[in-house]
Amino acid sequence: MQHTVEIPTNPEVLENLRLELRRGCLILAVLAELRSERYGYTLRKALAEQGMEIDEGTLYPLLRRLESQGLLVSEWREEDKRNKRFYHLSADGKLILKQLAAEWKSINASLDGIL
Amino acid sequence: MEMIDRYLQAVRFALPAAQRDDIIKELRDSILSQIEEQEAGLGRPLNEDEQVDLLKELGSPMHLASRYRKQQHMIGATMFPIYWKVLKASLGLAFLVLAAASIATAAAGKTFSESLGVLSHYPSVALMVFAWITLVFSALEFFGARFHVSDRWDPRKLPPLAKTDPRKSQFELIAQLVIQTVFGVWWLAGLHYQYLIFGPGIAFLRFGPVWHTIYWLFVVLVIVDLGLTGSRLVWPRWALGGQVSRLVMSALGLVVLYFLINAPDLFVAADASTPQLQSLARSINYGVRLGLVAAAIVNIINVVREILRLVGWRLGRIHQATVGS
Repeated sequence: MQHTVEIPTNPEVLENLRLELRRGCLILAVLAELRSERYGYTLRKALAEQGMEIDEGTLYPLLRRLESQGLLVSEWREEDKRNKRFYHLSADGKLILKQLAAEWKSINASLDGIL
Repeated sequence: MEMIDRYLQAVRFALPAAQRDDIIKELRDSILSQIEEQEAGLGRPLNEDEQVDLLKELGSPMHLASRYRKQQHMIGATMFPIYWKVLKASLGLAFLVLAAASIATAAAGKTFSESLGVLSHYPSVALMVFAWITLVFSALEFFGARFHVSDRWDPRKLPPLAKTDPRKSQFELIAQLVIQTVFGVWWLAGLHYQYLIFGPGIAFLRFGPVWHTIYWLFVVLVIVDLGLTGSRLVWPRWALGGQVSRLVMSALGLVVLYFLINAPDLFVAADASTPQLQSLARSINYGVRLGLVAAAIVNIINVVREILRLVGWRLGRIHQATVGS
């Protein structure tokens, strides 16, 4: 039986769905950007320049999570008279990025067909 | 830069202890990099308002710090529906126990305010019930997650299918309306012409004065009962019809029971000069009063249950609207 549910035309609903949709993509984007070494701020800028805006509150915890999962390696180093934490992909990270990229292409192709 | 340091200090307070220094160092560098870039663009140092804007973009310190923590909950989404049901039932049960104690106090001849005073303990009892249930379910959640209890389930042990549409058919409602009408007329007439109810027993027993005192209540009860059944007949798609009817009738029934339980004589001897009949009336009064107390408890259970069902139904609707399923 079909029934109608009233959903308010609340921009918050769209925003939440949009964030949910972007969440998984961001991980892929971050991993891909870190094929070359970067520190948090430059990584964020690089992502933004390619249309993947990400706020600090999301990026830095994500970097720590990926590092604790063994996908990233980091080290503190001095640059421009300040200590910065540089991240780059680990060997496992490279492998996972390859698999995730293949998965992404497959999902993208499927969705293209569906949409 | 003092404001930046105050901000970072507030973030630090809520961070996981082991990573505190590291995270703050990284955040500090990120904020300073942003400031440097903005200052280079403007050709001057950032003023206070601009620093405020920058920090506001980062979010409140507690919010930012929370992103570094794993999502924590005492009772997870799997356990929550059971927790919620048990909590509601336990709070209802606690109310019933106090209500029964309150009725017992009234039956023991205490004043109305004394009887009602028993119920005033409910908030503290409810708080205790809430604390214990939450504690037990938190422990179940903790150990359940640790031992992967939810992984050990068997489709063969799922509960049998529940009846999905409890609404009555038109025929059932018409039959119910006829029976209610016949019974209502018989009862209201019988209170005045008591032989209709007592039959040959009229030679021994009569109704006590209380039945006539609350006659108007019986009239209301019969009219409301017929009205509710009629409404369900006219609006068969009224999803809450059955529940609302049961709730209203149980609540009205409680009012009637209150008067009856507090009445000195429910039944009187037909012939006051016969000691045997008076003794019979006393015994019957005692037995019926006990029955009425039991009926009051059952009615309170029904009222609480129907209220909880209605609340659950409303919550279910809100949930459906939220998830859009």
